[in-house]
Amino acid sequence: MKRLNKLKENHEKIEIPAELEDIVKQSIQQGKKAQKKHGYVKQWPIGTVAAAAVFIGSVNVSPNFAQAMANVPVLGSIVEVFTVQQWTNDKDNFQADVATPAIDGLADEELQASLNEKYVAESETKYAAFEKEMAALKAEGGGHFSLDSNYKVLVDTEQLFTLARYDVEIQASGYETVRYDTIDKVNGLLLSLPALFKDDKYIDTINTYLLGEMERQMAEDSSKSFFLDKDIPEAAFQSINPEQDFYITEDHKLVLSFDEYEIAPGYMGVVTFEIPTEVIKDSLVSDTYVN
Amino acid sequence: MTKKKKFELVESFIVENRESHYRLAYSYVRNKENALDIVQDAILKALKSIDRLEEIAYLKTWFYRILINTAIDFIRKHQRVTVMDNDILVLHLPGLEDNLTDIDLQKAIDQLPPQYKSIIILRFFEDMKIDEIADIMGLNINTVKTRLYKALKKLRMEVGKEFKL
Repeated sequence: MKRLNKLKENHEKIEIPAELEDIVKQSIQQGKKAQKKHGYVKQWPIGTVAAAAVFIGSVNVSPNFAQAMANVPVLGSIVEVFTVQQWTNDKDNFQADVATPAIDGLADEELQASLNEKYVAESETKYAAFEKEMAALKAEGGGHFSLDSNYKVLVDTEQLFTLARYDVEIQASGYETVRYDTIDKVNGLLLSLPALFKDDKYIDTINTYLLGEMERQMAEDSSKSFFLDKDIPEAAFQSINPEQDFYITEDHKLVLSFDEYEIAPGYMGVVTFEIPTEVIKDSLVSDTYVN
Repeated sequence: MTKKKKFELVESFIVENRESHYRLAYSYVRNKENALDIVQDAILKALKSIDRLEEIAYLKTWFYRILINTAIDFIRKHQRVTVMDNDILVLHLPGLEDNLTDIDLQKAIDQLPPQYKSIIILRFFEDMKIDEIADIMGLNINTVKTRLYKALKKLRMEVGKEFKL
């Protein structure tokens, strides 16, 4: 507490500029004039502020993706991703841009349909949450909220296809999350982290590696920081989630992804770690995906 | 209460507490010009929306909310460039070893996300109670407590173990 008190003293010592008094008085005069000019116009109760306009855009195909597709050999199925729905909202301090991806061309149509349903449901949930938050903030008399939800094809090889969905919420500070779906196009499988490994020993193996790696990175680069403080065990990194978000790079390396604030302070953003294959090779079911 | 009377009360509150308001704005932007802009802007906004202040008992809460929103708004609009006063810049330069730990803590507070920073400033610098802060920030009391706890945790994380509360 001592040190906060010291800062409080500093806070109280913040020098008051001579012009403050004048500026305050002038502003009050200005406010008075503005009021006389407009009279006392009855304000609408905040709750009845017109609902924000929502535009539902038409389907649009990403040109980047079409171009990327030209390079894909015919071995695996050609998978396309396009935007089925785009919700945008831009009203005062509230912005939303929610794009819903849809996958097309997977040989396994059932898998494809279930993924696409999941994406639509995800977007609906996000947009509903946005509208709720917006209404709550308006009822409180204002605020800021912006939501940017988008997707990207992260990996597209003959066998593997990864679609990453990014969400950035900004409300005073930002909050970014990423979800990945990695699909084996040849066998029509949606990969999960546990399925890559023989048993759950991989969790400890990866934890040990990550702890060492986080410490190494922090020692090497002082601008990096992870939640490793042993004094605050409830916030320190304990273990990966068995279903931790992951993807597999084009050269078959496993990458684990952590949302903002999950294992590091906010300024680090979304953090990813590429796990060297030799660390996990004994636990892997096969070297088909990761090698 | 007549409108005129209400306006007078608001006016005298703003004039009397101008120094606290300025310091609060300053603690967000750490720069004189910007802090003055924020105070000015907040006063204009407050007078413009004076009808929304339904009970004079909420005057302080109401005005602080406007002030904090204006400050956060300002930071958002000017995120890329933060002008620092010269004396602060000097503090950050090497050669002032003995002050370092307090500066680190100050820096750590400055780097907190605004919703955490507001709570630390109001609680410790403005000596407000948790429920007052909850009213100003439009949050429930438990959220304020959680954020306060998290903010302190973050500060310890940034500043290091020697920072004890």
